[in-house]
Amino acid sequence: MLVQDIMTRQVVAIGPDMPIRDVCTLMEQRNIRHFPILESAGSGSAHAGSQGAAGDDAGHDRLIGIVSDRDLRLVGADHPLAPRGVAATEPVRKVMIAPVLTAHPLDPIEEAAKVLREHKIGAMPVMDGSRLVGIITGIDMLDALVQMSGVHEAATRLEVEVANRPGELASLLGAIAARRYNVSSVMTSRADAESVTFVLRVNTLDGRGLAAHLRKAGFVILWPVDKTTEP
Amino acid sequence: MSTAASGDGPTTEPPAAAGREPQVRFVYDAALATYELAPEHPFRPERLELTRTLLEAGGLLVEPAYADVDHLTERELARVHATSYIDAVKRAGRGDGLEEAYAYGLGTGDNPVFSGMHEAVLRVCAATVTAVELVASGRARRAASFAGGLHHAQRAKASGFCVYNDLALGIRRAVDEHDMRVAYVDLDVHHGDGVQWLFYDAPSVMTVSLHESGRYLFPGTGHTYETGRGPGRGYAVNMPLEPFTEDASFLEVFDLVVPRALEAFRPDLIVLQAGADMHRNDPLADLSLSLAAMGAAYRRMIDLSERLTGGRLVATGGGGYDPFRTAPRAWASLWAAMTAQQMPEVVPPAWRRQWQAASPVALPSTMVDDPSSWEPAPRRDTVSSHNRVVAERLMEVLERIWAGAPAAGQGHREGEEPA
Repeated sequence: MLVQDIMTRQVVAIGPDMPIRDVCTLMEQRNIRHFPILESAGSGSAHAGSQGAAGDDAGHDRLIGIVSDRDLRLVGADHPLAPRGVAATEPVRKVMIAPVLTAHPLDPIEEAAKVLREHKIGAMPVMDGSRLVGIITGIDMLDALVQMSGVHEAATRLEVEVANRPGELASLLGAIAARRYNVSSVMTSRADAESVTFVLRVNTLDGRGLAAHLRKAGFVILWPVDKTTEP
Repeated sequence: MSTAASGDGPTTEPPAAAGREPQVRFVYDAALATYELAPEHPFRPERLELTRTLLEAGGLLVEPAYADVDHLTERELARVHATSYIDAVKRAGRGDGLEEAYAYGLGTGDNPVFSGMHEAVLRVCAATVTAVELVASGRARRAASFAGGLHHAQRAKASGFCVYNDLALGIRRAVDEHDMRVAYVDLDVHHGDGVQWLFYDAPSVMTVSLHESGRYLFPGTGHTYETGRGPGRGYAVNMPLEPFTEDASFLEVFDLVVPRALEAFRPDLIVLQAGADMHRNDPLADLSLSLAAMGAAYRRMIDLSERLTGGRLVATGGGGYDPFRTAPRAWASLWAAMTAQQMPEVVPPAWRRQWQAASPVALPSTMVDDPSSWEPAPRRDTVSSHNRVVAERLMEVLERIWAGAPAAGQGHREGEEPA
């Protein structure tokens, strides 16, 4: 799964001279927490050239900063963490964050997730060259996790430990396919040199029957546990 | 339902006058047993015949209570299911279009294609809709459709042994044709996902499901935070239970959740899905209930119908994969509760003689089992306290929604305020 598969394409961007209080209103109205800040191409503003736009992108507005609700919330407040000497009537460029960490549409989402996590940021504009093509947020990452884990499909969760060597997962999936059950997701929950634990979501109501069958075939099934209570 | 008062106090059973139709009907057709997914499949249609013969042998079911299955049109089927899906089911049942059928969940291990599939499952749906019609039209106070209970079927997908959703069709009939508010209560061990999602936005239908937690069991849904959407917010109620939940804990959370939810909703009709797979002997799930608690829950449901819906209740079967011992006795106790008859203590010997040869296990000699002779389930105290905490939190959330939601009174018709 790539950044372009989960990013929001309709990005709401703003100019650097929008007053902070208007930005706050816009956040409220659109229910958005992050705005990339674009500077018009050819505008002679102070930030011109700071992003080093490539020649063929000269026609585009340039990304010069980003602002989040967190950066704006305390503007003008009587609070030790409030940005000093900034009033809500002033342009947003005074509080924006620059330079901006960005993602590429073809980045795998796990790479983007790592950047968000390591830098403790909530969003990244997605740039194709110097063109803004989308935005990706932590919420998009959660959506991706939900989608990747297949929880939207009615299924049974199976936890299987297999030896950490080639072909083990293939033979597990083969044994499931032989029963004509579809597998809606496979995830690794733990791995060391010896073994790997996979969590699978299998589209069957009879998870116990499947587990019993797999145990018989020699697989180590961690869940569902063997029901020992003898009827 | 425009004139009949709903939510009026306990109604007493009128004496059965000679010549009048019986008050509680058993919807039946021998052909209902053709809903057999595959010979080795865990979903056993024989359960209907096992139940019916047990009831007859015990003197609990006599001729006048039987009701024939009415015809159900395809047009009505299409109120719940996509026409493209219906076509796929029909074609697959004739051996055509098996490749396309796969996209609809057909031809899988759980839902294999079988000959005459469409007709067989349509009949099951017709039986449940018949039961609803009998009760909604006032011709019966209660009715049973033990072949029904296919709660996993989705709009355009077969799932979890279910091809069409008879329950949703029955509920639609009551809502659309009789202008009723329907409370659907699902006591199958698996979450009643198909019915829940089909009515997730609906203010006229409340779905209540008690089930083994989706963390451990198919279909994986049924979290407490699934509470309905839009005008249906607050009208989906989910109580996930810990594996190895036993009688006392089950009844404790039942009492915490179900009566209050139904009171808040004020239904005109209760539809009860009584899957028999919460039982300890069920091979496909992990709860540890006995027939005593299952019977107690059924009796509570009847009491609730007396108190809230003027007695109107439709019951179906559902899961239950211990077909010889558990499902027939569970549903016999449900029928006994519906008809206010005393359950016999012993299993009629004639019934055991009739079925013992077919059963892979020894048939029981008593109608209820004796959980005091069982080994206590593992982690009993942890399981009970966990269930209790979940139920209390669930109700806190729901009470807040019910108190504040503008939807709470929405859809309730004038002149129908409860006493």
